Amino acid sequence: MAINKSRPKKPSKLSVYLYIPNIIVSTFGAVLDMITDRISTACLLVILSQVYRPGLTFVSLVALDIGSHWLQMYSTFLLGKASHKDVKDSTSWLFRAYYGNRMFMAYCCVACEVLYISLYLLAEKPTEHLMDVLLSLTKEISPFSILVGLSLFGWAIKQVVNVIQMKTAADICVLHDINKKESP
Amino acid sequence: MAINKSRPKKPSKLSVYLYIPNIIGYVRVLMNVYAFAICFSNKQLFCILYFISFGNKIGCFYFGFSFVCDGIDGWAARKFNQVSTFGAVLDMITDRISTACLLVILSQVYRPGLTFVSLLALDIGSHWLQMYSTFLLGKASHKDVKDSTSWLFRAYYGNRMFMAYCCVACEVLYISLYLLAEKPTEHLMDVLMSLTKEISPFSILVGLSLFGWAIKQVVNVIQMKTAADICVLHDINKKERP
Repeated sequence: MAINKSRPKKPSKLSVYLYIPNIIVSTFGAVLDMITDRISTACLLVILSQVYRPGLTFVSLVALDIGSHWLQMYSTFLLGKASHKDVKDSTSWLFRAYYGNRMFMAYCCVACEVLYISLYLLAEKPTEHLMDVLLSLTKEISPFSILVGLSLFGWAIKQVVNVIQMKTAADICVLHDINKKESP
Repeated sequence: MAINKSRPKKPSKLSVYLYIPNIIGYVRVLMNVYAFAICFSNKQLFCILYFISFGNKIGCFYFGFSFVCDGIDGWAARKFNQVSTFGAVLDMITDRISTACLLVILSQVYRPGLTFVSLLALDIGSHWLQMYSTFLLGKASHKDVKDSTSWLFRAYYGNRMFMAYCCVACEVLYISLYLLAEKPTEHLMDVLMSLTKEISPFSILVGLSLFGWAIKQVVNVIQMKTAADICVLHDINKKERP
């Protein structure tokens, strides 16, 4: 009896869950990666919103983070692109600079997290006023204050890109419907 | 010269943005922004505005729509033939962000600080996975899932009134907890215990909400597992046919 060895066995569900490089190789890995990022950033922002006043600053940043990533993901699916990081068709120069240049994008993303972590480390009292803390950094220039300054710049760029991304993604949703009406 | 009238004109992008249900969506967003801007200075008004925005959904329960629970703007979309993907996404995002912000506010007030942080994580994680798996399956909405073996799952999604009760209970609980907080920092168990000491209509309301809230969180967890399975099966089936 010939044993059919030409067709590889289907992996079981459990074996996919236990893939060692379960980062991008599988759909579940990619989703897990994305969700871990979203939740960890959201939780860090929540901690910061507990410490820093005005209380709505970091609440707004959570809202922008969730809103922009949600819209991006939705539009990525509609387009069928491999990743929202592959968007090449936007006319905004900042957009092209951000997504065209991986190092620049990496700097902005890292800057964001560095800024949040730095603000967390800087807080000494249970409640701090954000502007006071930032201004105290400018009074004495130290390597740490330079780091925070550089992070602030990258963070600002990333937030602006988030806003542009929301508009681009919304356009994709709208165009999807328009094109669907075209071809019934 | 014959004018070709058989093909309807494509709507412009701007016209889709100005669809009536989408305008309702923008009003909801503005209402939420204003509500959270005044949430510390005027708690009562914040709760009213939050519920009007959420009541957008309660309207659909009242009118008894049997399919996707999508509120007044969804009803308007069908009535005016202005259903749009953008409208659906806007609706979903407004819900996610308003719940998230309310949970952040609650986490600022209530100790232990990680309680509401965890609820936020669960909310984001479960909805994200649900949406991803919905796309992979190509289902109209994650609320249309029919193929799960969990009895709780079937009870939840099979019975719109039960699902409505659980969703509403969640928001009622969060808003109630926000109204109950008098000091800048409150201990959650103390506040809940104080409600049991004197039984009032309000404490009964909170008790009922607690039950519905608990069910919804359990369903969220089950949903994450189901959605994760869908992602994994998607890959397994893809390997099947190269």
